[in-house]
Amino acid sequence: MNSKLCAALVLLMVVIAPFSYGQEKTVTGTVTDQNSLPLPGVNVLVKGTTNGTQTDFDGNYSISAEEEQVLVFSYLGQRNVEMPVGASNTMNVQMEEDASLLEEVVVVGYGTQSKRSLTDNIVKLTSEDIAEVPNPNIQNSLVGKAAGVQITQTNGKVEGGINIRVRGAASVSGGTQPLYVLDGIPLVDPVGNNNDVGNGAPTNPLLTLSANEIESIDILKDASSAAIYGARGANGVVLITTKRGKQGKAKFSINLAQGFSQPTNKREWLNTEEYIELFTEAAVNGLGEEDGIAEAEATFDFLAGDTDWRTREVDTDWTELAFQNGFQTDADFSVSGADEKTSYFFSGAYNNTDGIVRDNALERVNARTNLSHKFSDRFTTSMNLGFSRTEIDRIANDNAFASPMQAIAQSPLSQAILPDGTPNPNTLYGNFLLDARNAFFKTIVRRITGKVAGEYKFFDALKFNSDFSYDYFGQTEDNYRGQNALFQSTSGQAFASDLGSESYVFSNYLTFDKIFADKHNINVILGTEYNQNNRRITSVTSQQFPGDDLPTVSGGAEVTAGTGVEQKNTFLSYFARATYSFDDKYLLKASVRQDGSSRFGSNERFGIFPSISGGWIISEENFLKDSNVLSFLKFRASYGELGNAEIGNFASRFLFSAVAYNQRPGIAPAQPGNPDLTWEKSQQTDFGIDFGFLDGIISGEIDYYVKNTEGLLFAVPLIPSSGSSIINRNIGTLKGQGYEFVLNTRNVSKENFTWTTNLNISNNTNELQTLPNGGADIVTGENINRVGETLASFYLREFAGVDPANGDALYYLNSENADGTLNRDTTTDPNEARRIAIGNPFPEWYGGLTNSITFNGIDFSFTFQGEWGASIYNGGGRFQSASADYYDNQSIDQLRRWQQPGDITDVPQARLFGGNGTAESTRYLDEADFIRLRNLTLGYTIPSQTVEKIGFSKLRVYITGVNLLTFTDYKFEDPEARSDVNDSRNPGSTFYSSPPAKTFTIGLNINF
Amino acid sequence: MKTYKYLFIAVLSIFWTGCENKLEINPTDNLPGELALTSEANVAAILIGVYQEMGQEDTYGGELQLMDDLIGTTEEVNWGGTFIDPRQAITKSLLVDNFYVESIWENSYESINQSNLVVDNIAIVTSSPDEANRIEGEARFLRALAYFDLVRNYASPYQAGGGNSQLGVPLRIEGVLDYLQPLEIARNSVEEVYAQIIDDLQTAYSLLPDTNGFYADKYAAQALLARVYLQQGNYAGARDAANDVIENSGHSLAPTYDGAFNNETDGPEILFAFQKTSQVVAGTDGNQLVNFYASQANGGRGGDVRVQDAYLNLFDDPDNDARANFFYISPDNDERLTSKYTSQFANIGLIRIAEMHLIRLEANFEEGTSVGLAPLTEINALRDRSGASALTALTADIIFNERQLELAFEGFLIHDYKRTQRSVGDLAFDANALTFPIPQNEMDTNSLMEQNPGYGG
Repeated sequence: MNSKLCAALVLLMVVIAPFSYGQEKTVTGTVTDQNSLPLPGVNVLVKGTTNGTQTDFDGNYSISAEEEQVLVFSYLGQRNVEMPVGASNTMNVQMEEDASLLEEVVVVGYGTQSKRSLTDNIVKLTSEDIAEVPNPNIQNSLVGKAAGVQITQTNGKVEGGINIRVRGAASVSGGTQPLYVLDGIPLVDPVGNNNDVGNGAPTNPLLTLSANEIESIDILKDASSAAIYGARGANGVVLITTKRGKQGKAKFSINLAQGFSQPTNKREWLNTEEYIELFTEAAVNGLGEEDGIAEAEATFDFLAGDTDWRTREVDTDWTELAFQNGFQTDADFSVSGADEKTSYFFSGAYNNTDGIVRDNALERVNARTNLSHKFSDRFTTSMNLGFSRTEIDRIANDNAFASPMQAIAQSPLSQAILPDGTPNPNTLYGNFLLDARNAFFKTIVRRITGKVAGEYKFFDALKFNSDFSYDYFGQTEDNYRGQNALFQSTSGQAFASDLGSESYVFSNYLTFDKIFADKHNINVILGTEYNQNNRRITSVTSQQFPGDDLPTVSGGAEVTAGTGVEQKNTFLSYFARATYSFDDKYLLKASVRQDGSSRFGSNERFGIFPSISGGWIISEENFLKDSNVLSFLKFRASYGELGNAEIGNFASRFLFSAVAYNQRPGIAPAQPGNPDLTWEKSQQTDFGIDFGFLDGIISGEIDYYVKNTEGLLFAVPLIPSSGSSIINRNIGTLKGQGYEFVLNTRNVSKENFTWTTNLNISNNTNELQTLPNGGADIVTGENINRVGETLASFYLREFAGVDPANGDALYYLNSENADGTLNRDTTTDPNEARRIAIGNPFPEWYGGLTNSITFNGIDFSFTFQGEWGASIYNGGGRFQSASADYYDNQSIDQLRRWQQPGDITDVPQARLFGGNGTAESTRYLDEADFIRLRNLTLGYTIPSQTVEKIGFSKLRVYITGVNLLTFTDYKFEDPEARSDVNDSRNPGSTFYSSPPAKTFTIGLNINF
Repeated sequence: MKTYKYLFIAVLSIFWTGCENKLEINPTDNLPGELALTSEANVAAILIGVYQEMGQEDTYGGELQLMDDLIGTTEEVNWGGTFIDPRQAITKSLLVDNFYVESIWENSYESINQSNLVVDNIAIVTSSPDEANRIEGEARFLRALAYFDLVRNYASPYQAGGGNSQLGVPLRIEGVLDYLQPLEIARNSVEEVYAQIIDDLQTAYSLLPDTNGFYADKYAAQALLARVYLQQGNYAGARDAANDVIENSGHSLAPTYDGAFNNETDGPEILFAFQKTSQVVAGTDGNQLVNFYASQANGGRGGDVRVQDAYLNLFDDPDNDARANFFYISPDNDERLTSKYTSQFANIGLIRIAEMHLIRLEANFEEGTSVGLAPLTEINALRDRSGASALTALTADIIFNERQLELAFEGFLIHDYKRTQRSVGDLAFDANALTFPIPQNEMDTNSLMEQNPGYGG
């Protein structure tokens, strides 16, 4: 049966004509809040049925019900009210605020559920959590707010990749990022770690979204919640829900913000005086008095060019040149509202960010329309449509001489710009300013994400949803390197690429929801989903340009390269979920998903991912029900199995690729095959307690989990002499475990003064349990996978300091003694020193502390964030802090070098070309613990009486700061500056990576 | 009501079972390996793939020669480049994790595996015996070339007259297709590796045609064989092979010295070159010789390999010898650079006829023979091309020196030191530091591998 017919038949089901329903008496009334103000958008439900409505803008409702039925009034943040229908046709209700977070509704995938009855571990972040940080990367505003979720931006580039690790590392070569689902659409990252487009560094897959479109972000952390996403849930699932209109008159909202940013940290480098001193000394030590001085002076002469280094004429601070003052403008607008039948949300947003690294900028325009219409009591349709255009001025990846951050290696003796205004071409390394002036790399992403959905109620307890979603990600890249650009020798070069990625998802599911005998609440979902992604790239390169005024490909006289990539993958899935609660006390849930994917060999094509969980709301038991102290207590336990299918479209296949030699066609092996390759399977067990004391003044969660990953996907290095370098395999098992602790307190809650505190602390450790080939080590660069160690531990020679007698760098031998201990003797020969597993690239502890205070019209909040236990390897260390091994400018600590016998220091004697201590070793590994004042916001809302006179309902001004303070002993750029060069097998290294931005913003919110 | 429900369930179940064929997706950007070895055209295409592989930057695209030039030099050049890995070569302090040492090894074995696949599947080539011979001959030539450079860089020197049982490199002469099988392998002896190289080259010589475009022909194989014999100290063999090439290949010295370099089409002097065009992909199969030896205007990084006065001082007739003036000053760093690599899209010459003359005359000198030409006559003919004055007498040292004048910065020096057992500065010809270490990643993955002495074992 072909898919068109499939689609047509199921769509037919959606548009089946509505079915009529009988009448009872009509109850009307007004719902108000505790201040007697009308409350729009309150859900009114006849208990035990799905007959419900919402209050309108003036708090009025009208519902048909029979006498003695019970009406349930519910509204987010308000305590539910239940009232029996009496003889009167009017029922007015006053609701009370309930700050207890346990009443939240969370998005669970193909539905929602109240957090109270949840047996899963899901963390919810609302628009308030994300709105106030005017950052083009949405994830940045979530940092420190979700337990068990570590969010790290790669480095300070505006478009840079973001790592989200839900409950620690579970994979290295397979995808490590969670599945992002936007309004039910699983988002693909068509750029990611692929090297077929881009500049070799990833971009943030959510870059095209604006914070003002987002209502909430729900992160499914445990297997029980994520199992409904089966083969793609192993790294957690991030459900992003966009805003929709709320019952009431049209609400207009305008937000404006303006910000300035700077790097969080700049390292200190030698100035001219220090540079000359250190390198003269190094040259003498390395080459002898006479040759050394001649060598050093000749080099200084070259570096100084036409200037006189002897008079210290030039002292260039290259770090200053690499950075620029960041600047951000953020503006957005939305209109939303709803009546009984139609709800609407329209929004537009604009963001213009100049990054902190020179010439790095982003400009984005977003728009969104979310509409839904209820044609009848049975039939509702909706459409969400968002589109955006994001233009990025990219700079080279961290491992390129043209990267501004590499300018820190230049000598302070060299002028950056010559007196005639042109960049100095005669510098130690290629002068990046030549590229800054003569080259550009412009990336434009156009993205359209839309969903058309229909919901049909067969009868009150059974409904059918059919959703069709489409995600188009179109990216063009234009790179021109002018005739005077760095290393340019072909009279200009232009590169243009065009990537089109489209993904469509067709989901159909039935939901049965009914309460039997007032006590048995059953919810069952049964569905199917088909997901296809097509990805196509073309690119072309030309050179030999008549001049820099014709920077498109057609300006080049010679077309020298072109590529074409065409790939597809599909997922076909069946899923089912049942939840059952008895008497609102005993909770049970089970789900199962079967996924089939084109990515895996036909033998291993289908996987089944089950989960089961249970909960007991012990505070509902009679013996606790009346406790004044304990207001809520729930025990949860869950178990589930998840998969990770992120390993490329044809990772299991034995492949050859086309190659060209002197314009003749050839083929060459591209990838060894592994027909047994299958998804990574993770099994997670979670035990949790949710608690609330004193009517929710104190509430929180404690969780313990064990996450075992089997069949870790890994690009295993092969024996190089076998003729192939890697093979994709499922290797061994990883045991991860951790604790999460969440505490929310309402310290003060008075009418004009509230103060809440939210604390979350997470612990995660992992250990490799088994590896193939009898547990043989798997080494990739500076990382090792070894049984008994953490995943991708650093594997390095151990630096043993400096020999006080002669200034030689020493390394521990660390060879194994006969008794199994390590030989701690030292050697000066790095080839004699054995590597040891030392240091974890992932933190063991992380957490956040947020305080929010409102006092009259003033609001004040701040978030501290911390991470402990991770180490970072500085791949640039052997150039930057290398005892003057070469003329790279040295970090200021190199002045602490050994100079004479007896000196006790950790910096070996400066020796030009001496390689004294420059082998890869723990000399360049450092612990990256930090605590950071992540965010601080101070706002003032002008009293409503005042603003209403000028027609506004709300007017608020605020200032906010991001990354204002950092407390760390970390030696290198910043604990959140890591290399952006694509190679996920080597996490946790930095290489001339930019620190993140420290941003100050002033903003204005207007509602009317 | 019920009708709808049943209809719905029926439709849904049809949908569920109907669309599973959508999971069958085959790659269009790559060729499934099962198909690669099924046709003659594909076997021929794999052979072209071997040339592409070997022409990559990691080896014959320039990095192999760069490392050889640097480890062989004492004062003649210095390394001003910022990269640490080549600096370890010039300071004779290679570390086991030297990136170039790893990539040369890896690329060489990739090439070997691909040429093995060609040889293994030669039976598929059935259109004509000549075609099968040509394909097999080229594959054997390329395999021999890779093994020769592996064994002379990664193993202790071949010692003329010795048993040469010292550890060579692992011989893999069957292509690997299944990478799930055990792949560990121990090192063969130097003698065994040389035997394989000679066998491949002799076979290639017998299979290949006289001319073969820019691909290897029988005289390319014979010329490489001459180089191999010379490295072994087999002067008679080297002499006869070189003589065959000079007499029969139809190649001759370019009229001028600079005519031997920077050719986009192989000139008369070039017996074999790796081909480069403007379509090469920088970073994979670009020209790393230009990158490291040339100014930015010529397509390089500015000039990392800088020719020193010590090299100029080797010339006995610097005023007239074109080779003594084959330099330019880089505008980027004011350093003296060789003019041998100034065009980034020019071919990378691997064997040129001048080397055959040098081999023949040295071998004749050592053997006391005059096959083809008397040694003194031959050396003067070669010098004459560059305008250098004629020599009146020959010694082994003069011949050694002449090779430097003619062949400097072409990767020969270190191997000339080793085969003539001369010291490199204060290091003996067989010093541990002059042999590359077995790469760390080979040691990490292959438990049968033994490290070279001096590298921590």
